Amino acid sequence: MAHPGQDAKFFQRGKIEEFRAELQAAEAKDKRFVKRKTVLKKIVANITMGTDMSPLFPDVVQCLGTPLLEIKKMVYLFLVSYGRSKPDQIHLVIPNFLQDCNDRNPLIRALAIRTMSYIPIPVVTDSLSDNLRHALKDRDPYVRKTAAICVAKLYAADPRRAEKGGFVEMLRDLMLDSNATVVANAVAALSEIGDRQDGVTFKLNLTIANKLLAAIPESSEWGQIYLLDSLLRYVPERHADAELMAERIIVQLQHGNSAVILTTIKALLYLMNYMENRELIDYICKKMGPPLVTLLSSGPEVQYVALRNILLIIQRRPSVLKNDVRVFFCKYNDPIYVKLAKLEIMYRLARAENAKEVLAELQEYASEVDLDFVRKAVRSIGRLAIKVEAAADDCIQALLDLIETKVTYVVQEAVIVIKDIFRRYPGRYEGIIPTLCENLDALDEPEPKAAMIWILGQFANIIDNADELLDDLCYTFLEESTEVQLALLTASVKLFIYKSQADRAKELVHKILKWATEEVDNPDLRDRGFMYWRMLAVNPTVAGEIVLAEKPAITTDSDRMDRGALDQLLLHTGTLGSIYHKNPEASSHKANPELLLMINQTFIRNAAGKALKDSPALNPQSRAVLVPLMRTQLPPTAVNVPGPGPVEPASEKPPSPTNAPVPPSKSDLSNEDQISSPSSLQETAPSTDDKALTDPNDNDPYSNLGGAFGNYLVDAPRPMTGTQGRHGEDEDLLF
Amino acid sequence: MGLDGIIVLDNIGRPIIQSGFRSSTTAYPLLHIDAVNNAIQKAASPKEVDPVLYVTPYNTVDKPSACCHVESGDIRMLCPVSGDVDPLVAFAFMQTFIEILREYFGTVSAATLRDNFDVVYQLFEETLDAGGHPLTTSSNALRDIVLPPSLLNKLLNVAGANLNPTINSGVGPSAGPFSSPIPWRKAGIRHANNEVYFDICEELKAVVNKHGTTIASFVRGKVEANSKLSGTPDCLLTFNNSQVLSDCAFHPCVRLQRWSRDKALSFVPPDGRFTLFDYRYSPGAALQNSNNPTRDNIAIPLAIKTNIVLEENGVSFDVTLLSRLSTHALETVEVELCLGEGASGIKCALARGLGGGGFVNASARNAEGSTGASWSYDSKSSILKWRIPVVPPSSSWSLKGSCTTSARAPRPSHAIIVRFEISSHTFSALKVDQLKVTQEQYKPYKGVRGRSSGVVEWRW
Repeated sequence: MAHPGQDAKFFQRGKIEEFRAELQAAEAKDKRFVKRKTVLKKIVANITMGTDMSPLFPDVVQCLGTPLLEIKKMVYLFLVSYGRSKPDQIHLVIPNFLQDCNDRNPLIRALAIRTMSYIPIPVVTDSLSDNLRHALKDRDPYVRKTAAICVAKLYAADPRRAEKGGFVEMLRDLMLDSNATVVANAVAALSEIGDRQDGVTFKLNLTIANKLLAAIPESSEWGQIYLLDSLLRYVPERHADAELMAERIIVQLQHGNSAVILTTIKALLYLMNYMENRELIDYICKKMGPPLVTLLSSGPEVQYVALRNILLIIQRRPSVLKNDVRVFFCKYNDPIYVKLAKLEIMYRLARAENAKEVLAELQEYASEVDLDFVRKAVRSIGRLAIKVEAAADDCIQALLDLIETKVTYVVQEAVIVIKDIFRRYPGRYEGIIPTLCENLDALDEPEPKAAMIWILGQFANIIDNADELLDDLCYTFLEESTEVQLALLTASVKLFIYKSQADRAKELVHKILKWATEEVDNPDLRDRGFMYWRMLAVNPTVAGEIVLAEKPAITTDSDRMDRGALDQLLLHTGTLGSIYHKNPEASSHKANPELLLMINQTFIRNAAGKALKDSPALNPQSRAVLVPLMRTQLPPTAVNVPGPGPVEPASEKPPSPTNAPVPPSKSDLSNEDQISSPSSLQETAPSTDDKALTDPNDNDPYSNLGGAFGNYLVDAPRPMTGTQGRHGEDEDLLF
Repeated sequence: MGLDGIIVLDNIGRPIIQSGFRSSTTAYPLLHIDAVNNAIQKAASPKEVDPVLYVTPYNTVDKPSACCHVESGDIRMLCPVSGDVDPLVAFAFMQTFIEILREYFGTVSAATLRDNFDVVYQLFEETLDAGGHPLTTSSNALRDIVLPPSLLNKLLNVAGANLNPTINSGVGPSAGPFSSPIPWRKAGIRHANNEVYFDICEELKAVVNKHGTTIASFVRGKVEANSKLSGTPDCLLTFNNSQVLSDCAFHPCVRLQRWSRDKALSFVPPDGRFTLFDYRYSPGAALQNSNNPTRDNIAIPLAIKTNIVLEENGVSFDVTLLSRLSTHALETVEVELCLGEGASGIKCALARGLGGGGFVNASARNAEGSTGASWSYDSKSSILKWRIPVVPPSSSWSLKGSCTTSARAPRPSHAIIVRFEISSHTFSALKVDQLKVTQEQYKPYKGVRGRSSGVVEWRW
């Protein structure tokens, strides 16, 4: 700061030869090593810019004997950068390493150990082993804490040597060290080793776990994170142990560091699985709310991570933040990623008591500038109507007001959600159909178009001019997307069944069936066309019964995550898995295979995942959904590629990334009646393992399509399955 | 917990400095720089980029990873992470690192980092281990091992007198680094004048709907301390009205158990500036258990009246701002209205309404430039800004104007954002009862100040 611009000149790209000459010149008459320091600074500047300085290796190493810490540091920096690429010359430095390991200054002892551990070359590792053993017992805590981390490095370079050398045991001893930072670093190193596929498993017993707890108050924030995180490696054997431990860490919720707060919450959520005392669980839930809200006063980046985690937490523990929906109201100038995350939480927290407030907010958002946000807001109004029956009337009114605005994208979204509302509340809102028909021209995207066509077909009996409207829509049949074509096909069949006497309907269905079977390449469309054709030809009455069969009403109950998956994700609270809402460990879950595959490969390679472990203390709700932990690295989830042949509902699961041959999307599916064939049940059965526990009478073919559509569509309403989700054991869950 | 390293970019996306990425290939940091730059280019504004980006590997050796990034002044800090890592650790670490830089160099900018790259590099080494473990981040301990670039240091270097810890100097007279049993405070601190200051800063964030009803309002406050106390002082800070504090989050130095017991802050402070704790002001804490969700509403110190008319190809607006405070003035008031894409031809007239007459002093100060109010328009973001340096108590101000838009149906934002500051005022009226310093003989000089700011979103 004092001399701005002074050091900037070092960034000039220097030539190797020049530096070499300067270094040699600096050996003579270098008072207080000023010259050497200057040259080394230039060299380091070049390293930071990515220039290869490795040819200077022998020259720079010469300076290691200089008795000045600043110079030593720069030389070590150089060694760390190029040491591993010079296995033939590194032996030159070993004597200096050994000397420094025995220096009187603890900083230098630690520096030497640390630098050696960065160079995974056998000759260095050889001399490191002995010195590391001394360093782990050094009288100075700075050396001990540095050495603890170095063990993890040694382990990474040569696991068997580290085990044979007894280093893991020494780390275990360090967990009882008198200095909290040393304890924390030992735990960090053991965790790193334990997370490796080939590593020694790191488990804690009650005594050690309590010792670690005692070290928390004196640790730095990073140390606290390691210590709290390590509690997940402790499996309580008795309810009381878990409860006591939770009471001891709950005070950390008041820490100023956001990562400490989230790690504490993760540990609490984990321990709650092993608790019995309902009151304590409720108390902890109550305590978790305010710190989460506190996180929302941080920068948008932290807010985003917090919001994604809150979304998970409130699904598992709905009493958290139950009364705080206002906290999640979007500000006009929030970044879009924050707004979208808040919107989702607002929807989750909506209940009959606060539905009015939430609806008023959503209406505000529908007039905002950002298109994507407006669409999601409109969609949320519809979801709110489906979720909270008491608010349905108001929501419909709000949607009608929005349609009045004639803003195209608003109208389109409104139509999509209204279709679902019709299904949720049959016979209640059909009166608004004329308004919808007036806005037919505004629809130019496939999804709203298909939704509107569904409405036209479904209610062809009460819409006088349905045949006219459908006929108009048919002009462009061959240019439409598959989604719209499928909708038109079904709608025309419905129309024909309602009005089998009308010539126009007859003509229309004939025209479309002909197109679908003769002119279109898409096999789904063709097959469906043939099927309708045959049904109508064989027995129109039965066809009518099938096509217009009573549809199961839909609800949003099932648009939450599977309990077992949720429990596992919560163990990863705060981690990348919880951001993407994908469990890095489990592969059997109904998740988007694409994303899961990515997460699996990305974030868990070489690591052992976490899962709840069974113990006598595990409470029944959690045991019911226990997912066994697979230690071995599974091949990335099998991706089901839709094969040739008839389309079965199950083949919906892996959404193909391309738009090309789209299998019937979710919305068609729920329109279509023939798919409730029993075969779909078997198709989906294997992946319902854990769900079956919560929903023993789950005989609903759609319920499993959940995660298959990525994040955007999981919010789509699904059929209601009677008593689903109303079991006592689900009492923790959000409805 | 693997933070793979830190990269600092300047405001056009060029790398300034990065930590040594030792457990990865050299291409790894470059991939992350590209990923962030690409994302920024694609986004409508840099602010809208997802803070956690997924980065695909360019070959099969590297594993895929994610990049957490955050902007600070004219630099952007990147933290690539791989493995099952908590992104909050990355963000918390970057925040801490930015604070360390601020403490070392006064300001954090591309220029200061370039000037002091050697110090920054050393800081990387000491704060982040190559295995991704954050190490020493407490500036008190750091200053022992990485010397700040002080003027004194540079002068001494030039003069050839070297006070740097030389090799074999052994343990000096003042105890060596890390000898302090308290991680955030080094041992043997001496100050000629022992003083400690506390700043109570509160920020109001509120949303008001078009009927003028507050639908959400929160005040978050923090107590910033500046401690210049010798030795190892043990402080005990108590408040007269600690019941207004809720959802507190404390600096690690605060004894949490003691706070839970009797709402007193007991701590051994770090040396220098630090945030002692932050809190939420809850006015209704006294009426606990009432389930009325509006109990925490806080009075908004101003009111806005709008008359905005949307016409074909244009908007005309009339905004009135009214101070509801009776004793304090609102300062540096900034009113923001987004007029929607393609707005141009802005015409505005500013006026000062009635009220605030009793406050002659305040208006006299601005006598020269009539009112001192001004407006400006940024056509890139289509935001109209109206600035008023001082709004005296109970005064009213107005802005009238119009604009034309390229779209037939203009879509201005339905929210007006008002920012303001109030000095020597806190919403919570939090009052320090006393500060006791024990374990040391001296009587320190103590000071407490309050200030507030606010951001109100007023919808119409």
